[in-house]
Amino acid sequence: MQNSSVVAYTRPNQSGSERRRASRRSLGRAFVALASLGALALLLIQVSHATGTIAAGFTTWRPVLYAYLVWAVIFGASQVAIRGESGLRALFLLPAVLYTIAVVIFPTLFGFYIASLDWNLSSFEGPHFNGLNNLIGLLHDRYYWNALANMVFYTGAVFGEYAIAFGLALLLNAKIRAQKFFRVVFLLPLMLSPVAVSWMIGKSLMEYRFGPAATLARHLGWDNPAFFSTPWAARLSIEAMDAWVSIPFIMILLLAGLQAMPREVQEAAKVDGANGWQSFWHVTFPLMLPVSITVLIIRIIFKLKLADIVINVTAGGPGGATDTVSSFIYRVYRDRSNVGYGTGLAIFYLLLIIVFLSVLLRLSRRLTQKVA
Amino acid sequence: MKKQEHDQHPGLRPNRRTVLKGAASAAALGTTGALGSFTGLALAQDNLRAKILQIPGVGKGAPTDADWQKVGELCLGPTKANVKEGEFKGVELSFMGLNNQNLHNLLFRGFLKPWEAYTGTKISWIDLAQADYNPRLQQAIATGTVDFDILEMGAPFEGDVCGKGLASEMPDWVKKQIDIDDYVDYLKPPVGTWNGKTYRVTIDGDCHNFNYRTDYFSDAALGKAWKDAGNTSEWGVPKTWQQVQAVTKFLKGKKFKGQNAFGYLDAPKPWGGFGFYFLGSRATAYAKHPDDKAWLFDVDTMKPRINNPAWVRAIQDVIDALPSEPADQLNADPNTTGFQQFLAGIGAMIPWWGDIGQVAKASDTSVIGDLVGFDILPGSDDVYNSKTGKWDKLSSGPNHAPNCAYLGWGIYVMARVNGDERKHKAAWSAAAHIGGKDLSIWTVMYPSGFQVHRTSHSNIDEWVAAGYDRKYITSYLNSQFGSYNHPNRAVEPRIPGIFQYYSVAEDELTKIFAGQYNAQTGANNIAAAWEKLTDQIGRDKQIALYKASLGM
Repeated sequence: MQNSSVVAYTRPNQSGSERRRASRRSLGRAFVALASLGALALLLIQVSHATGTIAAGFTTWRPVLYAYLVWAVIFGASQVAIRGESGLRALFLLPAVLYTIAVVIFPTLFGFYIASLDWNLSSFEGPHFNGLNNLIGLLHDRYYWNALANMVFYTGAVFGEYAIAFGLALLLNAKIRAQKFFRVVFLLPLMLSPVAVSWMIGKSLMEYRFGPAATLARHLGWDNPAFFSTPWAARLSIEAMDAWVSIPFIMILLLAGLQAMPREVQEAAKVDGANGWQSFWHVTFPLMLPVSITVLIIRIIFKLKLADIVINVTAGGPGGATDTVSSFIYRVYRDRSNVGYGTGLAIFYLLLIIVFLSVLLRLSRRLTQKVA
Repeated sequence: MKKQEHDQHPGLRPNRRTVLKGAASAAALGTTGALGSFTGLALAQDNLRAKILQIPGVGKGAPTDADWQKVGELCLGPTKANVKEGEFKGVELSFMGLNNQNLHNLLFRGFLKPWEAYTGTKISWIDLAQADYNPRLQQAIATGTVDFDILEMGAPFEGDVCGKGLASEMPDWVKKQIDIDDYVDYLKPPVGTWNGKTYRVTIDGDCHNFNYRTDYFSDAALGKAWKDAGNTSEWGVPKTWQQVQAVTKFLKGKKFKGQNAFGYLDAPKPWGGFGFYFLGSRATAYAKHPDDKAWLFDVDTMKPRINNPAWVRAIQDVIDALPSEPADQLNADPNTTGFQQFLAGIGAMIPWWGDIGQVAKASDTSVIGDLVGFDILPGSDDVYNSKTGKWDKLSSGPNHAPNCAYLGWGIYVMARVNGDERKHKAAWSAAAHIGGKDLSIWTVMYPSGFQVHRTSHSNIDEWVAAGYDRKYITSYLNSQFGSYNHPNRAVEPRIPGIFQYYSVAEDELTKIFAGQYNAQTGANNIAAAWEKLTDQIGRDKQIALYKASLGM
């Protein structure tokens, strides 16, 4: 009886709170719908204004950004109203999602749009739709393919950088004197800006007339130590400078991996009679493979963006021998104001990188699975 | 009188007509009794110029912000004549310019500080590095986001800015204040104008002159070796490109003052489009025919001339000379040839803007000091005639065609101030102040990034009184004014996107110089890329603007 009276007492409350929840949900949905309609209407007005369809509109796109922010706030608040506890949890994620949409996804999509335009900043006609002509153009662009070929060399050189970095990491992981001092010293190049490296090394140390590296090369019997005058010398010099900056980065990650490796494994190998090389090749290297692959992929991503040293030291020369895709895009976009084509080159390169890295990741997964 | 005649540039010496005009004017002034007050004014102006030229004094260290402010303060007279104190109180202006080598905008700030205090205007500054300047300006134009009221700009961009109606027309009172008629001939219209309207306050005069080492060409041992090598001509400063080539090849392997001797220095490495000017300097004598204003494109079609025999010959000259130049010359841009090579004592000849002459003596970075002489660019024994397709030998001798590269910096007021009368006047007053006649003599004598650009800058006595060596400055000014006033000067086309053409050419040239193509194939590639670019920008309008820029 008591129970039934409780039930009888609580039922109206439950239905009351359900009603409230239902009305909150409806209100939330209404707010989202209203805010979305408002934001969309503003966007449509501004697009129509910008394309010259209607006269009314804003002089800048800033109100559209404000509308997006307002919509984001209403959308977030409505999630709580609509979904209650789970909506509250979504609030922790929503700002990051909306931010990513605003600064990553939207600009990328917008980039695809720009890439489809014939847009030279000096053109009288302004931007106009160009279909796939930018893509067709880049397929016939000798400079682009030359830069891509150079990127194959630079990317391949990452494995050389990795080998050197592994050697240094092993050295620093061993019990040597002044270990801490060397760790700091080896890390110093990483702290330098590539632009500073361009000037300090490329334009000073390696300077043909007075550079200490050129003077040393002369003492060693190289009559004309011109580091940037022949294609291969220039390519190797640029790679050497970039490697000098980046090897410490690879080294420090490998060192962290080496230090995390259990010592028992090495000791067991020793007990089994393995010499130094066998211990490295059959134990250390395989165990380090996951770290190695991670570091190689990160380094390749960085390498694919190489531009600063090239722009500063050789401007892509001699004859395009050191040109990278990024330094070429820089010239197309910056020196030639060719916005549509420059963006097209960048987007195509982005797609190439995505495909390349996807293949690389798949291969690396197979490799590590085999080792495991 | 004799001395004064000697000191004036030959091109500015009085002729019968100007003497008669001067005498008539003096007589008229005498009869009206105005001569006394006029000479008083002139004397006051002379005193002012002499006074500012002692700030801080030539050879007494680099000028500081305090010096720029002092000069700005002393040169406020013309502003005070046109603007009441505090007249622009509350007006805010935005000024976009460069900060190259800590000059340009930094000087303008100093010059304009007293002007701001007097007029009540507040100026905010947009400082840009040279490399950032072009894209920033182009983006502002293309996206309709001009966020500056006053702009420091080179004449090559006039097509982009004035041609698109973004600049404000210069009022007559400004023309009077800056004494616009004082500009040297080549900076007079059509330069600075568009469709007959004047837009620019000129603050600089750019052209390439020929800089050479006087010690090389007066050296007896080199002279003997030159004769011993079987040369029939005398050892001396080359006057033609043919001689430049011969001297450059002759000096290969020679020693001079204990160092390797080098002749001409080319700048094959791209330099954001600016490097193309240096090929232009080699080409103008071949390509700019006295009977033809055009030399880079055909006027009626915008068909590039870059692959005609004249330009190909200039490109071939570079290919032929490079083996006689320093081993790493392929990696040398104009900054390297000018400042790291020539001023540092390497090489005997380079073309450059007037900066070399300013820096050679006045800067601690120069080791050659006054061992440098100047001339207009070398000529050529023959010149290509694009109309007939033949090489002509002129009866007057070698063809000279100084390369008026870049046409100097100017100050422009943007059209966006036109709707606000006070802002309009304030912007033009600021532009007129930094482009003032007296202030300009200071900027061309001290490190500023600006070279002589007014007829009044040719008074050698004024330079000598300021501390310059007479022989040195005479040679320097003769090369500058000789180029500006040359009847066959090659004036840069002020068409939209001109630096895009240069940048594309630089890319192909670096391939040619690296041996990937021969001169003709590479030049054909440049021509094809230029044709594509012209189509993209808009051929018909380019043709019209090209004609306008040539004053046709």
